[in-house]
Amino acid sequence: MASVLLPVSLLLAVLLLIPELFGDFTAYQIGLYLIYGIAAQGIGFLWGKTGVLPLGQALFFGVAAYITAITLRAEGGLVLDLALAAGVLVIMAVFAFALAALIFRGRNESGPYFSLITLALVMIAEQIAGTATNLTGGFNGMSGFQSLGNLDPFGGFYYVIVTATVAVSLLLFILNRLPVNLIARAVANNEPRLQLLGFPTHAVKGAVFAFSAVIAALAGGLFASHQGIVTPTSTGFALSAEMVILAAVGGRFHVLGPLIGAVIVGWASAELRDSFPYWELLMAVAFILVVLKAPGGIAELLESAYRRFRPVGTTVPKPAIVAPKPRNGVAKSRLQFDDVKLSIGFVRILNGVSFETPATGIVSVIGPNGAGKTSALNTITGNLRLTSGSISLGDTRIDSRPPHMALGVGIGRKLQVPSVFFSMSVSENLSIAMMANRAGLIDLFRPTTFQWRSKPLADLLEHPSVPLQEELVQPVEHLPQGHRQFLEYAMTIAAEPPVLLLDEPCAGLSPDETGLMTDLVRDYQADTGGLVIVIEHDMSIVEAISDKVLVLHLGQVLAFDTFDKVRSNPDVQVVYAGGTK
Amino acid sequence: MTSVLILNLAWQISTLALVALGLAIVFGKLRIMNMAHGEFVMIGAYAPVITSSLGLPGWLQLPVCLLTVAFVAFILERVVIRHLYGRMFDSLLATWGIAILLREAVELIFGRGYQSVSPPISGTLSVLGSDYPAYRIAVIIGIIIGFAALYWWNARSKVATRIKAMVGNPDLAEAIGINTARLSAGAFIFGCCTAGLAGLILAPTIRIEPMMGLDYLIRSFFALVVGGLGSLEGLGIGAGIIAGTQSFLGAVVSQTYGYLAVLTLSILFLWLKPDGIRSSSR
Amino acid sequence: MTALLEIDTLTGGYRDTNVLFDVSAHIEAGSVLGVFGRNGVGKTTLARLVQGGLHPVHGDIRLNGRSVGDLPAHARRGQGIGYMPQTSMVFDDLTVRENLTLGNAREETETYFDRFPRLAERLDQPAGTMSGGERKILAFVRTMIEDTQVIILDEPSEGVQPENIDHMAECLKERALAGAGILLCEQNLSFLTGVSNWFLGLDAGRVVLNKLASEVPASELRSILSL
Repeated sequence: MASVLLPVSLLLAVLLLIPELFGDFTAYQIGLYLIYGIAAQGIGFLWGKTGVLPLGQALFFGVAAYITAITLRAEGGLVLDLALAAGVLVIMAVFAFALAALIFRGRNESGPYFSLITLALVMIAEQIAGTATNLTGGFNGMSGFQSLGNLDPFGGFYYVIVTATVAVSLLLFILNRLPVNLIARAVANNEPRLQLLGFPTHAVKGAVFAFSAVIAALAGGLFASHQGIVTPTSTGFALSAEMVILAAVGGRFHVLGPLIGAVIVGWASAELRDSFPYWELLMAVAFILVVLKAPGGIAELLESAYRRFRPVGTTVPKPAIVAPKPRNGVAKSRLQFDDVKLSIGFVRILNGVSFETPATGIVSVIGPNGAGKTSALNTITGNLRLTSGSISLGDTRIDSRPPHMALGVGIGRKLQVPSVFFSMSVSENLSIAMMANRAGLIDLFRPTTFQWRSKPLADLLEHPSVPLQEELVQPVEHLPQGHRQFLEYAMTIAAEPPVLLLDEPCAGLSPDETGLMTDLVRDYQADTGGLVIVIEHDMSIVEAISDKVLVLHLGQVLAFDTFDKVRSNPDVQVVYAGGTK
Repeated sequence: MTSVLILNLAWQISTLALVALGLAIVFGKLRIMNMAHGEFVMIGAYAPVITSSLGLPGWLQLPVCLLTVAFVAFILERVVIRHLYGRMFDSLLATWGIAILLREAVELIFGRGYQSVSPPISGTLSVLGSDYPAYRIAVIIGIIIGFAALYWWNARSKVATRIKAMVGNPDLAEAIGINTARLSAGAFIFGCCTAGLAGLILAPTIRIEPMMGLDYLIRSFFALVVGGLGSLEGLGIGAGIIAGTQSFLGAVVSQTYGYLAVLTLSILFLWLKPDGIRSSSR
Repeated sequence: MTALLEIDTLTGGYRDTNVLFDVSAHIEAGSVLGVFGRNGVGKTTLARLVQGGLHPVHGDIRLNGRSVGDLPAHARRGQGIGYMPQTSMVFDDLTVRENLTLGNAREETETYFDRFPRLAERLDQPAGTMSGGERKILAFVRTMIEDTQVIILDEPSEGVQPENIDHMAECLKERALAGAGILLCEQNLSFLTGVSNWFLGLDAGRVVLNKLASEVPASELRSILSL
């Protein structure tokens, strides 16, 4: 807890000292910078973790400012004002969540489109604010109202701002230490993988966006009360961009970064504007330098300077807690393809595939390159939508559901090219996997969730030949391809899915490692009694592990039988002789 | 009267297509979200101001424009942009800084006030019974010819494919022998030069001032969004829809409604058809 | 007489971590150098250092006696060093035809289409829509038809069906016979031993074996690869 309380109490002390040391006018100015800084903190949280860059955050800031102005003008009393403010925040949150979740649904990237939508929205808001004179006062803005609770903007209101600043910072510091932080960062890292681990990434992004919108709205309300005037620029594009710049300069990966950015940039421009004619040039150059040389902003520079004389101590890992049982209670069931057809553009990939697996055992899928093996797995997990036909698991139809629902019905998936969270450490990768299919919403806000361990995962990690145990603190991006195979396998089985789909798990592995991987797969199947479907080219492996073999050719089932029968099938021999490593 | 409306529409669409062309290359192809695009239009528009203040003959406007813009673009690519390929949001931030830098620099040199220049061709032409400025008609025809030539060249050259390959997989592009540093710098400078050219062409018809770029930037972005990144046809269609909507509603209802309609249209495209209107026929 | 490609005490890796230490080897024209070792010993790093995607901390690479260690990757390709990466080995957004024709091709693709007929069927399809194995084959063919003297292949057989691995082996032997020097990083032992004239064994970033293939018994290969 010290790592949370120390910076927050330091922040509180510094902010409380400002009026004492520099007087009320400076405190008034700093108050305004802090208000922008709070909004920028929300941007930093959203952008630094999920990679979603909002370009229209002044929409929430400005609308909240206008509503606050209207409320304060009505002079309904403090209680009514606060109740209205709470209501506005809730509405903003719902609106922001719905907006982001709707736009991100069915996509697994955070590219520029969402950012441009927020930009267009804020431009609409600015235009309306400027022209709807009856409601907003037009370009002259709204003024002539008292501050919240009639506090003096040059006196008592500063402490309201300080309270809000400290409260938001404290909240962000706490969130940073909770499992939900890991999930938010995983979104920026590898969305398709997070979906296959059962997390609806569009909802995650929606929730974080809503959170940042609420923070912006809070800042907007403070702004109206502090400044006593609201104009269309408060809900404008320029302000939105400026708040992004504050977050970038200050440091979006750190809670206090955007605050530091806001105060430094605000103070510097106030000081330099009149005395130094080139100050805007200087600011532009400084900003470009930050983007190029210090993407982590001022906060990261400060932190690395601090770390130079106080390095990070090694943290003792907390004892493991037995993880709760995974949610997928689906009884062992057969996987059934019924005349599945799949075309992408003009290319027909699956041409009427029908088969039914047993409810338990290992089924190998073989076939020439381009036969449709990986695509078949993609239709099971919902990464590809069927053109026609159906896929069922037991009595449940599972085709054409989004990929994040696959694990919920018991389907775990390892991809062909190992797909992990590349800029996170091995142990962070495993932590996320342990939450998959186990953690409820509340668990994401409990620190003890980090300590979850399950027996299958522990056994795997402690296996003397599995390389991961020594690499726990390493970032995954430097692991060799073969070790990533083991990591992704570990992440997939951590959720203990009764149906396990493995796409060439032995690709890129040496003969010994291949033997190890097949042992692990066989043991997993024996322990769970579930169904494992493996795509594999190596016939000695296929022979060793398969209860049944499915041969695909040109998007159709060529044979589906035991290994010996498939091997002696003349149709199969024509297209696929097979070989070993 | 309607013929003036139609010619105005053609003027708006063709100039927007030219303005957006550079962004189509820099953002659409190189994936650099160039927020300083409008500033290159602005610098191009200052070229006649430069030549007249130096007392140079009018025919030097074009070389002065292209050399100035190319020089600025070259320096910026070397120093800033080169480090930002594959980092789209960082490119957005850095180019936002560049935009401020260029605006401030121009303001320091030429001052904040408006400048205006006269067109190289004066007088009007009678088209379909209405008089219309000859300069604008020449520009419309010139842009149409220019785009036709570009289309013809693009269909035959491998450059677009090489750029696509480089942006999709820079390491592999190097491995098959593409000099990615040179190709991306070339594409960036070319894109900026077309923006500068657009500024030069627009100069006699607008008020030239340091802040003029932002509007061009935003309309270019939305034209690309609606038309879809990546094809010249899409660029034309996007420019047509954006400029068409804005000038039609602007003439019939009011500027505000034209502007709001463009924004709403852009949001709908970004949400429902993020690859633009051309996405289905890809 | 100098070897076609000399790798001279090469040390390097990613940013501040060296993966490879003082690796020396050479490839004669017409031969295949089989590089093997467990996962993480530095095979991919070696390939990237020779190809130019990574730059050596010290040591040098010489092609026909001329140093290429300071050249960027595209210039090394210009000098005749071709490369097939282990991952991201094709341009996903480009069609199969564009993938094959974008670099400088040495010869027509027709002979390869006989061995890999699926490519010919998919010429106008974006490479990204093909399966993993098909993309490997496309990248392999692309690397083979280029006008290169040295060919670096990083795990070409991964995810490729056995028949096609046999075809790959034939192609490699033909290309070597025509005078190319080939550096092949492979996990598939039967493929590796089937085509290599010389073996380079790596462990923890260092050379542990550097011998004529005929002098290395299979047991020695396996012991280096064992966990």
